[in-house]
Parts: sequence; structure tokens; C-alpha cells
Amino acid sequence: MKDMSVKPVYLDNAATTFPKPASVLEKTMETYRRIGVSPGRGGYDLSAEAEEYVRDTRRKTARFFGSSAPDRVIFAGNATDALNIALQGILHPGDHVVSTRLEHNSVLRPLYHLREKGIIEYDLVRFDGKGFVDPDDIVAAIRPDTKLVVVTHASNVLGTVQPVREIGRCCAERGVLLLVDAAQSAGAVPIRVDDWQVAALAFTGHKSMLAPTGIGGLILSRQLEDIEPSRFGGTGIDSASPVHTRDFPYRLEAGTLNLLGIIGLSESLDYLAEAGVEVMHTREMELLGKLSDGLSLVAGIDLYNAEGLSDHVALLTANVRGMDPHDVGAILDGDFNIAVRTGVHCAPLVHESLGTSPGGSVRFSIGPFNTGSDIDLVLEAMKEIARHGGKG
Amino acid sequence: MRTDDIQQRVRVIAGREVVFDDEGFLWRPEDWTEDVGRALALESGMEGLNDDQWKVIRFLRDYYAYHGRAPMNRDLKAGLGMSLMDLEALFPGGIRKGARRIAGLPNPRSCT
Repeated sequence: MKDMSVKPVYLDNAATTFPKPASVLEKTMETYRRIGVSPGRGGYDLSAEAEEYVRDTRRKTARFFGSSAPDRVIFAGNATDALNIALQGILHPGDHVVSTRLEHNSVLRPLYHLREKGIIEYDLVRFDGKGFVDPDDIVAAIRPDTKLVVVTHASNVLGTVQPVREIGRCCAERGVLLLVDAAQSAGAVPIRVDDWQVAALAFTGHKSMLAPTGIGGLILSRQLEDIEPSRFGGTGIDSASPVHTRDFPYRLEAGTLNLLGIIGLSESLDYLAEAGVEVMHTREMELLGKLSDGLSLVAGIDLYNAEGLSDHVALLTANVRGMDPHDVGAILDGDFNIAVRTGVHCAPLVHESLGTSPGGSVRFSIGPFNTGSDIDLVLEAMKEIARHGGKG
Repeated sequence: MRTDDIQQRVRVIAGREVVFDDEGFLWRPEDWTEDVGRALALESGMEGLNDDQWKVIRFLRDYYAYHGRAPMNRDLKAGLGMSLMDLEALFPGGIRKGARRIAGLPNPRSCT
């Protein structure tokens, strides 16, 4: 068993990457100490400087996601928050939505809520045995009254990266808007919203973008000129009017922005640009391959990732036959100092389709600071647990 | 967290009415008695609870009564002086559905 006095092997990076790059944290604090005031809310230079910093981060974020519309970068708390802003702003009574069974509750619950309120109808498309949605299935589910298709870019349970470019083409040909949940893919794989004809993309900073928690956003295309706000309040402009401004990006933002988070996002974007998203992804996938290969040799372990790990982000889920995944997670933590995520990962329909409901599975997700020796420790631990737990 | 969408079921167990959730965990930890614990163990296919199992159950009960929450993994390991793998093997249902449920602690519903 592992020496518990050393730092844990952290393999819950799909929930929140940890640790953050030291340079991101240091530079973030340095900048926040210097300009941590209300951006654009005062007549003094420091406020203007903070606002310019925010504007520059919008430009940088747009560039990162392949968007030509920096004024359509809307800051939000995280991907769930951004998805809510998008869904509540785009959908109107009588609209139909197509989504998938791969979705996280960040999509499923807002859709369910809107349907229960009698506002929308929706259909969910299946995924295949390898964890991918077929664009033809989405096309088949589109009706004359379909306004929106919502898809996750990368499954938070299976790690599979969906064919968003192809889905975007199908949607554009039919005049249907495409909303992408990039919670797991932003910072993990390259994204080009303009090229892929994405109407809106929701991202969060705290996962593969390596920013702190509490910052995320929405990248809108100019197709969405009529998106409605679902929150209202101070924006720092037109303050005498009782009407929330229609100007972007403020139309969908209300209240003082999370400047500390925006600075963290800006610094993490610089870090990603220097390190290279594809370089980091290749390294993480090598570690995932080692983990997958090792686990596949352990008797009594079921793996749920795609064969060959093609079109994948660096996570996989597994179960030890005969053991509650929560107990496996507790043992990994308590006996081996390895942190993982267990349960249904807020994606209940994926587990329903896999046949792993209601207990779910154990998810291992790799980040930029994991090493080959971390994977060795996990493999040793899982061998021991599978051997020990073979009572079922 | 308790939410309205969790099914409650009232059952008579060890001669008293007890409310359970949809996974068989006690709704109110204060409804637990040693007789309830024995009855839950019997329902899990255990013929009785041995000294090692009672030691675990009493530790969980005492910890919960004192701290108002279940022990963290490291507290469990240190407090019992055994690995969590051994604890898992001690109860047919494992740690969560075995030890914790029989001890009458609330269902840890996080991320399930």
C-alpha cells in the first residue's frame, strides 16, 4: 500500500484539473493585485484598465475557439451556467430540440425543466456500442419545428469525442442551430466554432483549460442575434434605462464580472498556447493508453472506453466485477491515496445504456501533471483490489 | 442532500415502523437500534453480526453521533485500524451498502 504522507495521485481531472500550473496561479494573483476592481464601472483609469483586460480576454478566448466574434464571448460561471443561458435564451414555446443520451445533467435537466413547463419538446438520440453518436441519427430526429440540436463534444463518462463538424454541417443544411457542450473538450482538443458552423458553444475554465473554478462562458455565432437574456441587472452601461441592454456581450451578462476568474482564464489561455493543446493531449493519451492496456489485462475488471482510444479525451471508466464502484473509489482513496470519481457522473442515461445503473462506475481522468509512475501505482492498486474483491 | 425526488418507503422492521430510502438506507439515522441493525444484516444474507462487524458498526455510529457526518476514508481506516479493502470484505454488501447501511448512516448520495 502507498505511503499516505505523500501527495495523492489525482485522477479526477475531468471534474476539475488539479493542480493548476503554478505560473497560472502566480500570474493571476499578480494581475488581480494590480487591477482587481470593477471592470468598466468607474470613471477612473484602473477600472478602464480592468475593462480593457476583460475585452482582451474575450478576444483571446474567441481566437482560442476559432471564433471571429469576440463581442459574442459571454462570461458565465461554468459550462452548466452557460448552457442554461443558451437554452433559456434560444428556446421559445413550441420549439423542438434534438439531443443525445450521452448528455450530462447540465443539458438533460434544463431540457427536462423546459419540457415540464410545457415550453419545449425534445428527443434524445442513442449512441453506438463504441460511444459515438451517428450524425444520421440526429438528422432523422430533426422535425420541421426543430430549432436546436444540443450535443456534448466529449462524453464525461466514455471520453468519446463526437463528430461535431459533421453534425454542424447537417444542422446548417437544415437551418437548425447547433449548441455544443464543450465542458470536457475545451482545452483538451482543438475546437473551431466558425469552421464547424456551431451556433453556440459552452465551456468551462476549471477542467482542461486549467483555469480556476467559477469561470466559463458561451461562444456565440452571429446567427444568434435574437437570443434573449434570462437574467437582468447592472451591466455598467445605459444605467439610467429600466431595460437591460441589447448590446453584446452585456445582453447576456448581469452584475459585476468574476474578474479573478477572467484573469485566471486569460493566464491559462497563455499557458495552453505555449504548451500546445495537441502536444498535451498526445501526452495524456499515451498515459491513458498505458492505463487502458494495463487494466485490460487484470482479471475481473470491465472497461467501458472506446476501442483503440481513437477520437477520445484522456479519461476512461471501469468497474471491478462484484464490487460497488463507490467502495472501489473509497479503497483507492483510503488505502492507496488515489483520487478518482465514482457513481453515474451526472450522466444517468449513459449508465442506463451501458447497463451500469444505478451504481455507475469508477472514472480515471488524466491531467497534464500526471506521470507514468502515477499510472503504475493505479495499475498495482487495481490489481490488488480486483484480486481482493473477487468475492462477487 | 435530501431531495423530494427520492422515494421513501415505510417498513416494519424489528417490530417498529422505519422509513427507508429507495436504496434501503434509513431515512432518519436516529431510527436505528441494534435490533434494526441485526434485522438489516439478516436481510443482507448474514446469519448474525460477529465482533469485528459490531466494532465497525459501533465506530460508525459513534463517529456520526459526535461529528454529525460519516467518517472520511482516512478517518475510517485510522479509527478501525484496518484497510478499507478488509472492511469491504467484512460485509457482503461492502462498505457503503453493507457496513454503512446496516449501521443506519444516511445514504451518501453525492454524484450518484
